[in-house]
Amino acid sequence: MSGKQFFVNRYRKLGWTHKQTKPKQAIRINTTTASREKVVNRLQSLGIALQKIPFLQNGYWISKSKFSVGATAEYLLGLYSIQEAAAQIPATLFTELENKTVLDACASPGGKTVQLANQMKNSGVIIALELKKRKMFALANQLERSRVTNAAVYQMDAREASKLNKKFDCALLDVPCSGNYATDKDWFNKRSLKDVEKNARRQRQILAEAVKVTKDDGELVYATCSLEPEENELNIDWAITNLNVKVEEISCHGEEGLTNVFGKELDRSIEKCRRIWPGQTQGFFVCKLRKLA
Amino acid sequence: MTMKEIKDFVAQFNASIPLDKSRVVKNRNRYYLLSKELKQQVPKNFFYAGAYLGAVKGASFFPSFLLLSMIAETKANRLVVDKKTAWLFICGRDIFKKGIVKGDNLKKGDYTLILNKHNECLGFGKITCNLRGTVDANKVVVKNILDIGDFLRREKRSSKRQKRSRKLQGNNRKPLRATRK
Repeated sequence: MSGKQFFVNRYRKLGWTHKQTKPKQAIRINTTTASREKVVNRLQSLGIALQKIPFLQNGYWISKSKFSVGATAEYLLGLYSIQEAAAQIPATLFTELENKTVLDACASPGGKTVQLANQMKNSGVIIALELKKRKMFALANQLERSRVTNAAVYQMDAREASKLNKKFDCALLDVPCSGNYATDKDWFNKRSLKDVEKNARRQRQILAEAVKVTKDDGELVYATCSLEPEENELNIDWAITNLNVKVEEISCHGEEGLTNVFGKELDRSIEKCRRIWPGQTQGFFVCKLRKLA
Repeated sequence: MTMKEIKDFVAQFNASIPLDKSRVVKNRNRYYLLSKELKQQVPKNFFYAGAYLGAVKGASFFPSFLLLSMIAETKANRLVVDKKTAWLFICGRDIFKKGIVKGDNLKKGDYTLILNKHNECLGFGKITCNLRGTVDANKVVVKNILDIGDFLRREKRSSKRQKRSRKLQGNNRKPLRATRK
């Protein structure tokens, strides 16, 4: 159960017709280091054409640039980060972050950790977990470059977060997933349903652990860049049944979550999730949960 | 904990910065400045925390860019350079006299921060000849010691290390793993 035709057929059954797309490169202005207008003006003066992303406050698509936007002085000074447009959504979904204690469960490469720190204005505490040591150096570089001062990074499996003996106000679960074809041209050749199911099992374990370490009434944002319902709607349906959480209403880019997956009826509240099929952005899924008291 | 390495380093720029000793933590060879909340809340076995200040390697102190920016907020030795010079400096080059637009009161052997026209710190260097007198415009006057281009060099080194380690394991193909955004 693999190959392009297999997955394309699945997408059709979910109500979407596959098309080859290439997401535009996007940046996010780091508003703790400079104002949005100042950074935009500076980038435009370098000859970089920017297009405001309509559904993001600080996000811009790169329309034209003669050089890599990852090699400008402004980037190295931490005035902006390179972050895909859909990936900028999850951190914006928390109600209030300033002075809160936040868990970033799978933090590397750190784009969303920096975004959380921006939104928190470097107040409160972010505990960022990453399992792989080699990825932690990149994460640390990202935090140093972006002038983040409220985060602590630990080498730890998110499934063992309770070892920290801490309770969090909010948790961002940007879980490792199977990805999608829009950002990986070989995706169809290397993924199988078995991979998807394996990732889905691990994601449930992360979800369960995150709920355990979140305070009552705390918020959890779950995100993947996978199009597969096993890693998205089906996992959230499982969480509603097995964990003490409910799905919260969100207002962001994307279509309603699927409540019927391959004939299986899911909890109606899953339509409050957002599914983004590849187009101007990569494929993405995001959901906000609240831990019930 | 003495923080001697940090104080000595900052003093080289004729500056001092107020660091709350109780909130500076040394983890292995690295110094971090923690906020009150971090200090109270985070377990000690972190990999990275708060504001990274720099690392001690042997007898030398390697500052972070956060520390350099903190020094730049004081009346430390500084030179403001033009746009082209700023870019060349970030690329690891030394600085010619003609590239300096502000600051000419430093002497040979002084350490100085290098700032762009927006007063953002790009790194630091060592003065190679007195700037007070008449100096040939095409003469190198600052030797580059550290610049923010280091972020890109670190990435390059890290990706080379990964490739080398894959080669040593006799497996050039990238293993299939879960994807991160």
